[in-house]
Amino acid sequence: MRDRGAGFRFAVHGLGSAVLAFLLLPILAVVPASFNHGTFIRIPPETWSLRWYQRFFADPEWLSSLWTSFEVAVIATVLSVLLGTSAALGLARVGGRLRATLTGLVLAPMIVPVVVTAVALYYIGRYWGLTGTMLGLAVAHVLMCLPFVVLNVGVSLRGLDPTWLRAAEGLGASPARVFLTVTMPTILPGLFGGAVFSLITSFDEVVMSIFLAGIRAKTLPVKMWETVRLEFSPVLSVASTLLIVLTVVLFGLFRLADRRAQP
Amino acid sequence: MSNRGLAISFRGVARNFGSVRALLPIELEIGAGEFLTLLGPSGSGKTTLLNIAAGYIGPSTGRVLIGDRDVTDLPPRRRNIGMVFQNYALFPHLAVFENVAYGLHARGVPAADIARRVESALEMVRLSGYGGRTIRQLSGGQQQRVALARALVIEPDVLLMDEPLGALDRQLRQHVQLEIRRLHRQHGRTTIYVTHDQEEALVMSDRIAIMRDGRVEQIDSAETLYRRPRSAFVAGFLGESNLLRGTIAGIDGVDARLRVDGFDDVIVGHAADGLKAGARAAALIRPEAVKLAPDARIKARVIEAIYLGELLALRLSLANGQVILCRRFACDGVPEGDKIGIVWQPADVRILPDDAPARPQDHNVEEN
Repeated sequence: MRDRGAGFRFAVHGLGSAVLAFLLLPILAVVPASFNHGTFIRIPPETWSLRWYQRFFADPEWLSSLWTSFEVAVIATVLSVLLGTSAALGLARVGGRLRATLTGLVLAPMIVPVVVTAVALYYIGRYWGLTGTMLGLAVAHVLMCLPFVVLNVGVSLRGLDPTWLRAAEGLGASPARVFLTVTMPTILPGLFGGAVFSLITSFDEVVMSIFLAGIRAKTLPVKMWETVRLEFSPVLSVASTLLIVLTVVLFGLFRLADRRAQP
Repeated sequence: MSNRGLAISFRGVARNFGSVRALLPIELEIGAGEFLTLLGPSGSGKTTLLNIAAGYIGPSTGRVLIGDRDVTDLPPRRRNIGMVFQNYALFPHLAVFENVAYGLHARGVPAADIARRVESALEMVRLSGYGGRTIRQLSGGQQQRVALARALVIEPDVLLMDEPLGALDRQLRQHVQLEIRRLHRQHGRTTIYVTHDQEEALVMSDRIAIMRDGRVEQIDSAETLYRRPRSAFVAGFLGESNLLRGTIAGIDGVDARLRVDGFDDVIVGHAADGLKAGARAAALIRPEAVKLAPDARIKARVIEAIYLGELLALRLSLANGQVILCRRFACDGVPEGDKIGIVWQPADVRILPDDAPARPQDHNVEEN
């Protein structure tokens, strides 16, 4: 590329940094806020303390919502990976227009306004007695998680050379063996990526969860939403910080696995 | 690995794809230990026939037998075949050892035997000590040898190879050809080899089947195909050839007289089966059968003389514009532009049914 001079480079880097700061700083602001000692959210903290962390981990309601979020995320992820992988494998086999139509259907929850999906699920959930249950929440989250699995596994599948399958079959492998020894290792990075995105999506999901949550099944984001409306407590920033840490850790794991998969 | 494999026979095997007849009914028997090459242009049905042998596609009609066993309805995994693909189809997520061991694992061979057999297979393709490498660390030629080891280690009844050298450069291709020939001499396993490269076919095969439009045009040893082709197509596909087209003037026993178009003389040569007086035909004269003789009746002008080391490749032009290829030893120096006389022996001429499309090099477009 042509050298455009130091001034240009400085401007590009400056602008880039400004955009990055605009995107990230408001989110990162909750981290120091969670270490404030005072009763009001203040940045930077006047006195540092773990007071609100103690409050968070001593409150059975916060803990149970955290735990519910974990459970819902795991159930939703397992279901999404099973369904999404099957869907991706199936989509790879059908051709042309049918594939486009089916892919559109699978991706629809990403495009349809979430609140519309939430209202629809609320009615169906009421009818089947799924509102306020863990299973109801998990099933709703599957709708949001499925596209990530289908897309990720689909991308990995494109790296699968069909002659590998024929070679394995010719060497005497049964269809199940071919799947486990050739197909699975090839799609594993996509499967793992889809799972991580599912966990993050389910953990952060709030709109559908508000409609479908109940006393017995309340996820962390729902609890945060309720807290915002009742009392503006610094415990909120603790919950936010935990969510950020979890997201970063999961995403870091994914990047690590992804890099190992393609040396 | 003393087992020589089994015979494989195609009994009336045909295959249609929709309304396209990819393969017309074929009767073909390949003996135990034989190396047969299917040679033909793309679309001639050679790969279809190979895939039917492997079981990847089924025949529309007919039966396939390996030894005495009818395998027509068996999937590939129950046929005990070894297949080598053009792109090798090695498993990139497995090391060399695991690639070669794949078929043994699938057969439930005990681990100790697997280690021993994989080692000896790698030794056979001269890749001892490469077991721990990943596939990406190997060159194209080495990958091809791993694919060969993977196909041979399971001691297949039949080895099937689908243009296995297509992706290699010319020099490497020649090297691996000799390697495959050496391996075949050593293990002697029944082999069907698909290629469109005549040189590969000539170097390795016991017999070559020339395929065209879903039929086997002729199946014979390389020498017979070269010296006694049954049609102009076969003659044109194997080696260089001069085809002089014309009409049969008469048949005298085994010989035929051909009146060549735009040529005031007849050419006498050995007639192929089924030729009749008045039919269109072509006289085949191989380039090495064309001799230079200063006082010969047929005159030609030298339009190109190329030195190929010890050989001299001449392009000559007859009075009617027909181009004649001629190969002489390089010591007979011939300057370009010279008028010379050429001659050939009737014993070196074959009169064949004319079924080959005319090629541009048969006529000299530069001639005014």
